Amino acid sequence: MVVARTLESKLASLYKAGKIVGGVYIGPGQEAISASIGSCLSWDHDIFSALIRDQAGRTAFGEPILDATRSYLGSAKGPSRGRDGNIHRGRPNSGLPAMISHLGAMVSVVTGMLLARRIKGCLDGVVGAASVGDGASSTGSFHEAMNTAAVERLPLVVVLTNNQFAYSTPTDRQFACKSLVDRAVGYGVPGYEVDGTDLTATLRVISEAVRNAREGGGPQLVVANALRLSGHGEHDDASYVPEQLRKSPLGRDCMEVAEHQLLSTGLITEAELLAWREEATEDVQAAVAQAQQEPAPDPFADDWTVYASKEIATIS
Amino acid sequence: MGEITYIDAIRDAQHDLLASDDRVFIYGQDVGHFGGAFKATQGLKKLFPDRVLDSPISEDAMIGLAVGAAMEGMRPIVEMQFADFSSVGFNQIVNQAATQFYRTGAPAPITVRLPSGGTPGSGPFHSQMMESVYAYYPGLVILTPATVADAYSMLVAAVALDDPVLYFEHKFLYRWLKADQLNDGQEPLPIGKARVVRAGKHATVVAYSAMVHEALRAADLLASEGWEIEVVDLRSVKPLDTDTVIASVARTGRLLAVGEAFPWGGVTSEVVSRVTSDGFHLLDAPPQRLNSRDTPVPYHPNLWEAHRPTLESIAAAIRNLLQL
Amino acid sequence: MPEVPILMPQLGESIAEATIIRLNVKIGDQVIADQEVIEVETNKATMGVTTLCKGTVQELLVEEGVSYPVGTVLGLLDVTDEEAERTGVQGSNQPANPDSSAASEPTEEPRPHFATPEGGAHEPRAVEPSIRGLAVPAGMKGAHYLSPRMKARMDELGLRGADISAIVGSGAGGRVTVEDLEQFLEYIDSWPHSQASPMRLSVADSMRRSWTRPLASVGRPVALDKLLSYRRSLDPKPPLTIFLLRAFGKALAEEPATAGYLIGEQIVHPRALDIGVAVQVEDGVLVPVLRNVDGRTIEELMDEYQELIRKARERRVPEGNTGGGIATVTNFGTFGLMWGTPIPLPSETLILGMGAGTKKPVWSEDEGVFIPVTEADLVLTFDHRVVDGGGAGMLLNRLNELLQEPDSL
Repeated sequence: MVVARTLESKLASLYKAGKIVGGVYIGPGQEAISASIGSCLSWDHDIFSALIRDQAGRTAFGEPILDATRSYLGSAKGPSRGRDGNIHRGRPNSGLPAMISHLGAMVSVVTGMLLARRIKGCLDGVVGAASVGDGASSTGSFHEAMNTAAVERLPLVVVLTNNQFAYSTPTDRQFACKSLVDRAVGYGVPGYEVDGTDLTATLRVISEAVRNAREGGGPQLVVANALRLSGHGEHDDASYVPEQLRKSPLGRDCMEVAEHQLLSTGLITEAELLAWREEATEDVQAAVAQAQQEPAPDPFADDWTVYASKEIATIS
Repeated sequence: MGEITYIDAIRDAQHDLLASDDRVFIYGQDVGHFGGAFKATQGLKKLFPDRVLDSPISEDAMIGLAVGAAMEGMRPIVEMQFADFSSVGFNQIVNQAATQFYRTGAPAPITVRLPSGGTPGSGPFHSQMMESVYAYYPGLVILTPATVADAYSMLVAAVALDDPVLYFEHKFLYRWLKADQLNDGQEPLPIGKARVVRAGKHATVVAYSAMVHEALRAADLLASEGWEIEVVDLRSVKPLDTDTVIASVARTGRLLAVGEAFPWGGVTSEVVSRVTSDGFHLLDAPPQRLNSRDTPVPYHPNLWEAHRPTLESIAAAIRNLLQL
Repeated sequence: MPEVPILMPQLGESIAEATIIRLNVKIGDQVIADQEVIEVETNKATMGVTTLCKGTVQELLVEEGVSYPVGTVLGLLDVTDEEAERTGVQGSNQPANPDSSAASEPTEEPRPHFATPEGGAHEPRAVEPSIRGLAVPAGMKGAHYLSPRMKARMDELGLRGADISAIVGSGAGGRVTVEDLEQFLEYIDSWPHSQASPMRLSVADSMRRSWTRPLASVGRPVALDKLLSYRRSLDPKPPLTIFLLRAFGKALAEEPATAGYLIGEQIVHPRALDIGVAVQVEDGVLVPVLRNVDGRTIEELMDEYQELIRKARERRVPEGNTGGGIATVTNFGTFGLMWGTPIPLPSETLILGMGAGTKKPVWSEDEGVFIPVTEADLVLTFDHRVVDGGGAGMLLNRLNELLQEPDSL
């Protein structure tokens, strides 16, 4: 979480300094939820489709932060080599698919990855998690994917972060049910609701859902409530978020809550927390510096191929 | 022995693929015990119970699932019940599958089978030819087999490719087109190569899918009038074999591109555009196109027959071309 | 009594035929409308074939266990006129069913698009192409339109428009198609032919280019006696053409615009009066140019003139005397020709030609008799865009005046 917050603050300031091409999308307020997902999963074993505000989860899962800085800063050595940017990155061969912009579309991809492992006979103990938001839950893709995963009874854990806004659209314009967890019944899957600002709670609930899925309980829908503490992107000032929402318990910063919880239960000390912050700052600086020094993609060096099959690429 | 139909070939290909490659599985509506709306998978679930799976009516999820499975090393074949319904999964095809390799370096070797084209009474939503719409997007391979042998060999080749393939099978050819055997002992032509199915010298007609057969009938009719018409079967729309087409126009000097698709843009435009750019000096007359009318496909057979190119309209178009 | 057919229906997408499982009626049975009279099986399902209306089974044309294509007439019902009208089916003139494997339908029934491979005549329907191809462009109708392939082929063979003017075109508007060309070439190939010399080709190109302008010719007779006697008085005797050259130069010096050259909307005036002389050589014509003709005397011109004629005959005209002339003189009288319509060089507006001199009786008003006069015709061919008949005529008259005073040249 600390790493995520530090990295994203740095990215935001780079954006405001004009150093980043394209948009910057960060996830303050959602680190607890995201980190909980990532820490319940294993790199190269489980599957995690991270979405827009999942830096904490990505880091917890195992994605190097250099992937983030390279993608944002346009390094030719980034995971897409400049062909895609910001949060459209992943490592498909290690269980981290790269998202497309169409929300909801990744849930069926994770479903397919799990189905493949079942057919191959290596699904035991594997969980596939997909992160979505309140906005994504309105899409047809989301619906089709949830339904299909439920019919196939695959170990899919969908963590739906309701951060109260899809860009500028508040939840009363997004859905009419009382809570998004009500949909779980419709899909025939277990549903959980949790206070997303509370790290202890999110860890407990998400790990329970993950365990259920791992043990053959089929898809699980976790709805975590929080407030988006940034604009939709760094180009957006979120002036439409009402003040009383910001001041409500929903508007608590999960970082502060987590730090308080960790310190008050004696799990960490002030010194350790400080050391984490310093380490995170150093790691982020190093990752940014490295990415900044790397070359940008060269249109003359890029082979511009779109086909993996050589026999097609050569005649296209 | 006996006759093999076009759909027999498709079924046989899927059978052979399932039998020889554990990574292959078939996913679609009603493909399981029912054997598919057109019986393209008849009997396969019995033989391969874990790899022929019925899906809900969710074309978006079907394709997304296939991409995910392909990322995990599988070779899914997704059957769309009708090509017309693939528009519900359009996003997953053109934005997820088609961009996967380009953006991430991880290939997405899915094969989507799309029953296409009109039959009498099939109406606006069970008749569409959609290859042009998808060919527009980079990253996809678009196939349109016109013969029984190609129906078999191109489906097998499609699954072997490491790229997402849209395999447009023509519904009318399913049971109407028959052959004595699956192949004539010759090496199948590779994907991306067109075939000159009839040699000629007065004009070239480029066609694909079911229209190849109409074009051949038109060529026969013109032969009785003293004209030798060359017919080229594109076989794959993308990549499109410009070389073969241009070589043909070099022989004949006249071009008519025929398609059952709607007239705006599309395959016939692409053919004419390429020949005009790369082979302008070979043309003795302006190149022509013949497509369906610019309306949704009508339901009543009287209207339907007048909506699409027919033997008569192709022959008329060729005669017109010869007189230019 | 009218007959109504029982037809094999279209039983599903892409179904082309079905097998008769059971005939539920026999000939003579009374049936009602929508009664299932025959059971058929496709590879998907078993279905029933129903009657269109009430009637009596008159004929059953099919057998159990056999497959028939969609649209086949399976049987016939005898019906009343009211029933026939109610169902909108035409009555008695049904075509007889051929044997079981062929398709056969009454005329109203929509038939499957592709005829069955075994046959069954498919009546042509007038269907128009959805795209109307553009014919040869409207402004290009006729023999002038050359397709890109024509142009490429002509380029390849070194042919020009004039070369193919002998071909009758079979294309739209009478245009010459590549096929016409190839046939023509095959045809002439069978005739004896030889390679044209480079000189021939050079002249051909030059004349072709010149001929793109509207050229006209005017002429008048000129009395040569004074010139001839003056010439005899000189030693050495200058060739006749030199006097013509000098006179031409002098006349043009007085009116240089006559020799102006039109390019677009500009008339380019001559800078210097350089005039060429046409020399017939083997298989062609060369035109060496004498510079500054009006500024030099006959004596000054003579040596260079002789030299150039000689060199031209050897085809070794020096570079300094090649091109750049503003007009040409051609004395075709040396061949015994009386008159002609010479063609100027493509870079020139005027060419002056002279025919052979002959003694003619010319009426003399003064003396009241015909007196012998040696006359020759002078012809001036001009680019009518720059010069009109009047201007040309005035130039010729001036030339005549000058030639009557040969010592002034």
